[in-house]
Amino acid sequence: MIEVKNMVKKFGFKKVLDDVSFTAEKGQITCLIGVNGVGKTTIMNAIMNLTPINGGDILIDGQKLNKHTYEKVTFIPDAITMLPQMKIGEAMEFMSDFYDSWNEARANDMIDFFRLNKNDRINTLSKGNTAKANLLMGLALDVDYVLMDEPFSGIDMFSREQIANVFTSHLIEDRGVIITTHEIQDIEHLIDKAVLLDNGTVYRSFDVEELRENEGKSIVDVMREVYQG
Amino acid sequence: MQLKFNTRDPVYMQVIRYFKTQIATGVLEPGEEIPSRREIANMFKINPNTAQRAYKEMEEQGLIRTERNFPSKITRDESVIQHVREELVVTAVNDFVDAIKPVNVPLDELLDLVKQKYAGADDQKGGALDD
Amino acid sequence: MKRYVKLVNFEFNRIAKVYAVLLGIILTSQIIGVMITANGYLKKADKAMNEDMMSKAEFLQMYGQMDFHNIAYSIWFIGPIALSVAAVAFYIFLIWYRDWFGKNTFAYRLLTLPTARLNVFFAKLTTIVLMTFGFIAFQFIIYPIESTVMKWMVPKDFRIDLTFHELTQQMLDLGLLYPTEPMLFLLHYGIGIIAVTILFTVILFERSFRWKGIIFGVIYSAVAGIVIFLPLILQEFLLNGYFYPSELIRLSMLAGVIVLAGSIALSGYLLNKKIRI
Repeated sequence: MIEVKNMVKKFGFKKVLDDVSFTAEKGQITCLIGVNGVGKTTIMNAIMNLTPINGGDILIDGQKLNKHTYEKVTFIPDAITMLPQMKIGEAMEFMSDFYDSWNEARANDMIDFFRLNKNDRINTLSKGNTAKANLLMGLALDVDYVLMDEPFSGIDMFSREQIANVFTSHLIEDRGVIITTHEIQDIEHLIDKAVLLDNGTVYRSFDVEELRENEGKSIVDVMREVYQG
Repeated sequence: MQLKFNTRDPVYMQVIRYFKTQIATGVLEPGEEIPSRREIANMFKINPNTAQRAYKEMEEQGLIRTERNFPSKITRDESVIQHVREELVVTAVNDFVDAIKPVNVPLDELLDLVKQKYAGADDQKGGALDD
Repeated sequence: MKRYVKLVNFEFNRIAKVYAVLLGIILTSQIIGVMITANGYLKKADKAMNEDMMSKAEFLQMYGQMDFHNIAYSIWFIGPIALSVAAVAFYIFLIWYRDWFGKNTFAYRLLTLPTARLNVFFAKLTTIVLMTFGFIAFQFIIYPIESTVMKWMVPKDFRIDLTFHELTQQMLDLGLLYPTEPMLFLLHYGIGIIAVTILFTVILFERSFRWKGIIFGVIYSAVAGIVIFLPLILQEFLLNGYFYPSELIRLSMLAGVIVLAGSIALSGYLLNKKIRI
């Protein structure tokens, strides 16, 4: 389980995150929802220790983050994190060089799944294929948790569909996923849990099936309450 | 197979409703193997945990049976299937009644109209088959 | 350790192409320098002896024999060395900033590798050191080639052959880059490495706190500079030559080690606790 407890983050004197708490369980897809600029990416960065926080705790399976955690949690930012001049195959080699948890068989699986070509250079890929290659680098790691920042933004419809398919496939298996998005439509039926952020804090976090069952509301209904109410 | 789920009803219930319809209409036959949870999740683009929940619920209701390490199968229990069919009819009629009630049509007139439409629908179906 | 070595290999490969080009420029430019300088000298000799009717002895007395200094002071020879120095100096900054401002933010990857973040620091430091020593070694290797070219062009009576050692001993500015005494070599490059770690720390301050970080960085470098020169300052202004020279050297070295350790510790802290993507 990833636990974010009372996280506070300031930029200068401005509090961008104030007392943010939520949990993400293994085997579940947790979605951080909020309009742009609400601090979703900052939360992801903070979980990965890529930005310091001004208060609160982040625990991963009960432990604070350390270098070994990176064999357990991986982050897929909204842009690819490999050198542009690398070929996909070279990027895979890099990953396998540095991560014990790299799963070459699954990486090759994903090459097929996404119909990518290992000999293509990253800077020659289309936006959609870049996003897929980016996903590959993260998902081919045998990690327990995957953090994805806006995996659907700025790419074509068919790539979106293909990426959405990842969530129902063996590629996610029993991992814990935290995903951020500002447009929920693509994945409304894919997620287990929604954490709604507004004004730098958690407005509401809920199990989406329970919400439908108990209140007969969709995620968008709740979002409407937040952002228009 | 593409099924459009609505966003307000629990997805697992929508999955169960889908299977009930398939059973009641005979598309899925007694004893027929059904896709695994993962396949269903994949087919409908829904969360695998939700598919799991739907299957669990269907097992509890006796709609499907799963033996260890084998694919799930539709029940052979006729009474269950009969029950599903009735439930489906009742639900459909309820929906219909809910929709027509505000129009305030006399019952006789309504029944005549229903009979007429029903026969017409059969005719059309038959006609299509002749082509 | 294994990942450190891989990181060094990776970091070096990232600059390898540019590096190879630089080596090519050094070789080409310096050989051209040899040829142009030798040619100029020969022309001068030709003119003196054939037009001005000087004897060989008169010419040699007037202009002297040609040696490698004539070449080494030409822009063709010094230019590419200066270029290499500038390249290394520039790359000290670029080696960090390219990970943030490159087309793809590679810092995400580097900082989430399952290894101590200081390894990234050490790998970058090692790359800078390797580049520097590579240039030095390369110059050392190509010097005999260059001096052979000179030998081909200038007849024996008109030239003095110098070894690289002799050349650098006589040229102060080159001597700075190629100290002939092992102790001096250690001193020059020791100071160089310490300076690079200080700059790295400043860069990490900036990457952690942005504008404010530059101020912290400047303060840190000032403090580091004071600590390094503290023994010398004390000796000169307070203690009136209290230390023996050998003691002074040892104290200065100690100060250097303290600053080195301080920079590494501080960089480790910044990388682990303060760095921002």
